[in-house]
Amino acid sequence: MPEPTRRGVLAGGVGLGLAACSTTRPLAVNGEEPRLNLYTWDTYTPPATLAAFERATGIKVKVSLYGNNDELFAKLRSGNPGFDVVVPSNEFVTRMRVSHMLEPLDHASIPNITNLLPAFRDAPFDPGRRYSLPYTWLVLGIGFRKSAVDGVPDSWKWLFDSDRYAGRIGLFAEADDLIRLGAKYLGHSVNHVTPAVTAQVEAMLIRQKPFVKVFHHDEGQDLLVSREIDLVVEYNGDIAQVMAEDPDLDFVVPREGTLLNSDSLCIPVGAPRRGNAHRFIDFMLDAHVGANVAAAIRYPTPNAAALALMPADYRDNHAIFPPADRMANSEYGDYEGMAHAQMVDEAVTRIFVA
Amino acid sequence: MTAGVTAGTAARGPFALVAAPPLLWLLAFFLVPLAVIWGYSFGHNTSLVSIDVTGTWANYARALQPLYLGIIVKSFWFAALTTLACLILGFPVAVAITFASDRLKPWLLLAIMLPFWTNLLIRTYALMAVLRTEGYLNWLLAAFWNPLAHLAGGPAFVPLGLLHTDFAVVFGLVYVQLPFMVLPLYAALDRLDRSLLEASLDLGAGQLTTFARVVVPLALPGIVSGIVVTLIPSLGAYLTPDLLGGTSSLMIANVIERQFKSANDWPFGAALSFLLMYLTFAAILAQAMLARRHERRHAHG
Amino acid sequence: MSGGTRMAKGPLDYLGRWPLRLWLGGVLLFLYVPLATLIAFSFNLSKRNIVWRGSTFDWYAKVFADSDLLLAFANSLTIAALSTGISLILGTLTALLLWRFRFPGKALLEGTLALPIVVPEICLGIAFLVFFADILPWPTELPWPLNLGAITIAHVSFSFSFVALVVRARLASFDRSLEDAARDLGAGEWRIFADIIVPHLRPGLIAGALLAFTLSLDDFVITFFTSGPDTTTFPIKVYSMVRFSVTPEVNAASTLLIVVTLALTAAALKLQGSAIAKTAAAG
Repeated sequence: MPEPTRRGVLAGGVGLGLAACSTTRPLAVNGEEPRLNLYTWDTYTPPATLAAFERATGIKVKVSLYGNNDELFAKLRSGNPGFDVVVPSNEFVTRMRVSHMLEPLDHASIPNITNLLPAFRDAPFDPGRRYSLPYTWLVLGIGFRKSAVDGVPDSWKWLFDSDRYAGRIGLFAEADDLIRLGAKYLGHSVNHVTPAVTAQVEAMLIRQKPFVKVFHHDEGQDLLVSREIDLVVEYNGDIAQVMAEDPDLDFVVPREGTLLNSDSLCIPVGAPRRGNAHRFIDFMLDAHVGANVAAAIRYPTPNAAALALMPADYRDNHAIFPPADRMANSEYGDYEGMAHAQMVDEAVTRIFVA
Repeated sequence: MTAGVTAGTAARGPFALVAAPPLLWLLAFFLVPLAVIWGYSFGHNTSLVSIDVTGTWANYARALQPLYLGIIVKSFWFAALTTLACLILGFPVAVAITFASDRLKPWLLLAIMLPFWTNLLIRTYALMAVLRTEGYLNWLLAAFWNPLAHLAGGPAFVPLGLLHTDFAVVFGLVYVQLPFMVLPLYAALDRLDRSLLEASLDLGAGQLTTFARVVVPLALPGIVSGIVVTLIPSLGAYLTPDLLGGTSSLMIANVIERQFKSANDWPFGAALSFLLMYLTFAAILAQAMLARRHERRHAHG
Repeated sequence: MSGGTRMAKGPLDYLGRWPLRLWLGGVLLFLYVPLATLIAFSFNLSKRNIVWRGSTFDWYAKVFADSDLLLAFANSLTIAALSTGISLILGTLTALLLWRFRFPGKALLEGTLALPIVVPEICLGIAFLVFFADILPWPTELPWPLNLGAITIAHVSFSFSFVALVVRARLASFDRSLEDAARDLGAGEWRIFADIIVPHLRPGLIAGALLAFTLSLDDFVITFFTSGPDTTTFPIKVYSMVRFSVTPEVNAASTLLIVVTLALTAAALKLQGSAIAKTAAAG
């Protein structure tokens, strides 16, 4: 066998390389590459679910993660670097919608839409659900350590306006939430909070600050578990997760009511694979898939069919599904324009500095 | 020991070779992106996603309010404390590494650097585990205190509330910034002419005098660069005060971060960032002028 | 100086003195206790990083099975290596430029070089976001490692100033008479640089490289704004876990990173040691 010449090897290598880089990748049914770039919250989609999606459709999902809505928005503001599905919360669905960052959804190719609870077929933040479909919903409430508090602290008063639990309180550092919940406690709606009420809330929280131990950034449940604090403003799903590990913890929605939240599946403008994205959304709205997700992440599901498949310890869990009377008093927070956001941010900066 | 050749001499060729890559990179991949943000600081939001650069000073005017200036001052204070602590902790360490055997030296350097190749968030969580009420520090202190108190009939140990305080923030900042102080110090000390030290000791000066009057002046460039490399990134710290801080430990970088993220007010965030930069530059300039005046006075004296 | 002859404790044998040893030991303890906690918790049975609930090796198994995490790891190390290399070159050139030459605008350049150190990271992150979106669109869907280009460029831009600073401090102590002597003996600029200046710079270069590597490996803010769907790095993966709590899997991954780094450094030192021994034997 003649010695391979350098040129021969080079030619062969280039040929192989070209063959490998060639664009004859297998196409999915809808003519798109069988890939999907999902941009979502950490642990929000169990790996088993993604594997099941790949088995069912042949589409491989690549997951990228962000830690909060602001990061998602800041990242996508200047253009979409290639994501097919994103999972913003309700207020950010509005923000992205009015900024023309979302593609309208083709409901015809998402038959599982009928699985949704009636309450979620429409939404104040996305009329007609043209741009988003719900994935989970959540509420803010009070997580607490039963052995460290008297009875059930079912009012925002114990966190915002009382020295009873001085030094054992954790509040959310999220500017919007602080002002909205403060307004709710004072008897107003979470929306259309006037500058006067904002000033009231600001004064109240500045008075309360000496009794607050920490303003947390969504790690409130960890602080509760580690006994740094005994009462914390947190999402029901987060507290439900730690309740499974520590039976001394509990969750309650205060009687004044609270903020509703919902994380939705959306397709950003510029998504390279809209067909695959629709198939993914449809898959996530399937009853069994929804049940698996709910079992894994223990957040409330908006999917009626999935809910029907869940065991009683999920459906009857008062942390995951707060009682109806408290829910009746709760509202979604609207996006209210940039001037309002600026006012709220400055008020909260003053609270933090005081 | 001033610089030598001017660019006009026969060193023109090497000059171009040495100057071109960094200058081009600085221009294309640093100044241009930064200029865009500088432009934003003179603009305002026309919508959630677009900014109109109109040449307005409104953002700077807002940034100069006492509310924000106060936060900047507090941040400088935190950063200064951190730098001082790093200097005190780090100088002996740098000396130790410099005078270690050639075999031990790289291992010591590695030992200092290694913690900093661990992710900052996890390191901060680990610090929280050490400092918190039921953390290791309190556990250790209780382990010493309680048996003694038991014997003496005194009160049991009350855990120190170290976490979520300004102390924890400085502790965390020192923890993060220490190698950035040690490395430049080591780089400068390593070149120290040992014969000078030996001569000083032979002439009868004690270790401490030698240290103060021979080592420190010779290591001064390293000290200055160590201070710069520690002080300024400390100013920009936001994760450490976020997680370790108490309710009043807000630093300027937190405020700036909020402008770019939750407040979605990029022009104001840009104005705050550049205000911080202008103030830092002013401080560096003042320090440089003082140093030059000091040099001149000593040259004449 | 090589070999095993033990020197007597001279006045300069600082490390032999117990105060310094105690201080060094104290600082190392301060640095490593949290790290030890981190490693210990990588064996924690609980999903959270707070309370100890029993030991398990599961998290390590998870790391090796988690291809996303391993890819993020690989990305981080690659970017750090590339960024360190380029930063070292640019930083050294900058330091030489400022030390060796006088030219108009030198003070301005010095001020400009301070900018990467002074700019708040988030400001720079947003700047690069806009830059790579509007001014120099970086094509997506490039093969690895070219798709890491945007992140690498951003990392180099903020770290080469640090390298320049450290190398400059080192250059300040260079004895010009050596250079003059070499020139008198007929050496050209390149010979002078390679044979006289670089060896003198070595500690500064090493310190600068370590600094640049550290800055790049753990960067989150700037990387977040310059990364895309295919270019996740380890810090990004970790920071996004804050909402649901950082699991011990991350601790396990960090421990592995530490072990890998130690192993690589030990290997490098071994090679260096045997190379020195070889030249000593041959010479």
